Amino acid sequence: MTVAEQTQPVTTPASKQKQVSQSYWSLVWWKFKRNRTAVVGGILLIAFYISFVAIPEFISPYALARSSKYVEAPPTKIRFVDAAGQFHARPFVYGLEQELDFATRARTYVEDTTRVYPLYFFVRGDPYELLGLIPTNLHLYGVDQQSDPDAIVLLMGSDALGRDWFTRIMYGGRLSLTIGLIGQVLTILFGTVLGVMSGFYGGAVDQVIQRTTEFLNAFPQIPLFMALAAAIPTFWSPLAVFFILSIILSFVGWGGLARQVRGLILSLREREYVLAAKSAGASDTRLMFRHLLPGTMSHVVVIATLAIPGMILAETALSWLGLGLRPPLTSWGVLLFDAATVRAIHTTPWELWTVPFILVTILAYNMLGDGLRDALDPYGAR
Amino acid sequence: MSETTKEPLVEVKDLRVEFDVRAGIVKAVDGLNLTIQRGKTLGVIGESGCGKSMTARAILNMIPRPGKITNGKIVYHRRVKSNGHSQLDDVVEITELDPDGKTIREIRGGEIGMIFQEPMSSLTPVYTAGIHINEAVSLHRLTPVRKVGDQIAEQVMAHRNITQEEAREIAIKMLGRVGIPKPDQRVDSYPHQLSGGQRQRVMIAIALSCEPAMLIADEPTTALDVSIEAQILDIMRELQESVNMAIMFITHNLGVIASMADEIVVMYMGKAVEQAKVVELFKDAKHPYTQALLRSIPKLGKKNKGERLASISGMTPDPFNLPTGCVFHPRCPMFMPGKCDTIVPSWTKVGEDHYAACLLYEEV
Repeated sequence: MTVAEQTQPVTTPASKQKQVSQSYWSLVWWKFKRNRTAVVGGILLIAFYISFVAIPEFISPYALARSSKYVEAPPTKIRFVDAAGQFHARPFVYGLEQELDFATRARTYVEDTTRVYPLYFFVRGDPYELLGLIPTNLHLYGVDQQSDPDAIVLLMGSDALGRDWFTRIMYGGRLSLTIGLIGQVLTILFGTVLGVMSGFYGGAVDQVIQRTTEFLNAFPQIPLFMALAAAIPTFWSPLAVFFILSIILSFVGWGGLARQVRGLILSLREREYVLAAKSAGASDTRLMFRHLLPGTMSHVVVIATLAIPGMILAETALSWLGLGLRPPLTSWGVLLFDAATVRAIHTTPWELWTVPFILVTILAYNMLGDGLRDALDPYGAR
Repeated sequence: MSETTKEPLVEVKDLRVEFDVRAGIVKAVDGLNLTIQRGKTLGVIGESGCGKSMTARAILNMIPRPGKITNGKIVYHRRVKSNGHSQLDDVVEITELDPDGKTIREIRGGEIGMIFQEPMSSLTPVYTAGIHINEAVSLHRLTPVRKVGDQIAEQVMAHRNITQEEAREIAIKMLGRVGIPKPDQRVDSYPHQLSGGQRQRVMIAIALSCEPAMLIADEPTTALDVSIEAQILDIMRELQESVNMAIMFITHNLGVIASMADEIVVMYMGKAVEQAKVVELFKDAKHPYTQALLRSIPKLGKKNKGERLASISGMTPDPFNLPTGCVFHPRCPMFMPGKCDTIVPSWTKVGEDHYAACLLYEEV
């Protein structure tokens, strides 16, 4: 048993010639960083998730439920130059006066140039708990309401209950963005596990799983959504509805992923390292999830990233149809539902501000996904 | 390890492996008999597709679909080193085991290790060398370097999971043993950072980390260049001596087998055609196929200017449509019409520990 001493070469201290081990993911990161579009998409998404999901209470000037007497008011004009032509370094808004035209029954707002409300950063306003932990009443921007309760700033106008539309978009983003993410996590879970099993075992298991995915894919999606969504009991709490909806979204989405994973596994399972691991005594479960699954992860990440927008759009579409989330929950789909009447487009066109938010989110996801695909593609020029 | 201590470890008896494919049935292994002795090296040679690798896979009960073991058995004389003191001898019929069951998984890697031809693709790309070795160790819950007389410690070790630091130490030690330079750094290397020779060393380290009673080496040096090949062979020989391990060495390289094996089995089309001690086989080959194989390697120092290297005439037969009688007869220079194409030769003793399946040595 002295072979160890004989063959063990003299080792130099590790600190002297430390080699940085370049793992696969560090190479991917290196390549990803050089893709500007993808980085922009990633940064946008990080910013969106922080501001919409983590701290919308802070970013928005009012609480979600806060309604005002300014019903269906257009976006407040932010001014630097006052009525007398004087320039102010600090932006300000004028007070609003509501006027009702009794002939047309239209509500119009005129600015009262005598009431000037300067805009401030970090103003005190409606109380909330930051991240659900820290009680505070600090908001990113706003006007001083404490000295004049009539002061209001509506960046994107207000709705029929006098709620700040920008605030609603912020809070709506929280649900819309998380539902896509949760739905996608569930999709990855179902899709990869079933796909790996399907590809690894083949035979009857494969048949059952593949026929199930075909069955699900053959279903027209909207009626399937409608049927599943209609099955949600109306007395359920909004939170339960939210989770069940994300499960419904992933229920339809896993089939495609399972097929792709299966295809990858079919080629990977013939590799020698699978045989080697098996000959070392690895069980089927270990072969599948420790040796085969990691090889598909790069593809899964890309597919998942590119599929999240679909999830977000599906939620939006369902809610827009009135089948998904319903008030009092606020999501981008719910907001679109509010804006989806001819009357709303005519009288409160600012409610369409939701659309650019959805567009930018989808675009950012696609930019990120494309970048990831390029970075993870082993056949691409590296 | 004198000549007299002959103790069978694995006995392959009348093994048949068949592949039922659309075009018909391929007999990958057709009635093969061989015995691997404890602590000895058995060389298996033959050309591509002669059933060498399938035999190896059958020993681990790992025949790929649609292949099946249709006949024969593989007997493994198991020696369970349970609790260090009691040596439990046990005879396991590998062919009878559930191919996904617990027993065969304990044997795979734990008691019979295997290394493959392609070191380039035999390591899972997402794991470091250290993780690979630790996986093998943890699968069998053994500590690779066991000290004689330290039985209590061993008992403890065999029944607990080792810590991360211990596992790392073990991996580094194993990498050092197979001669990888700077094992404390290489332990964190991914397969793509290692050269082919280093990867094959890692494979050997994995296979040896559980101190198997037998190592199946399926053309372990075919993909490596000659100088690395020599190093790998040296390491295998050295380690074999230190742990008294049997090796089944599969190759088509006659030079390699001459330096490694104690005994050699020559295979042709799924059948063993000759078996002999290594020196005897090279000096006095009996079967025309073996003789032809030996003629087809160039010899140093022999003047053969302008002379072409001998090759075996003809082609390997169609596996769906094997010749009658002796399968080698269409290519055999000693073909005896009326005999070789009708009678299947049987396993005949032609010398001491020397057998051949050829009608030349059979009274018919």
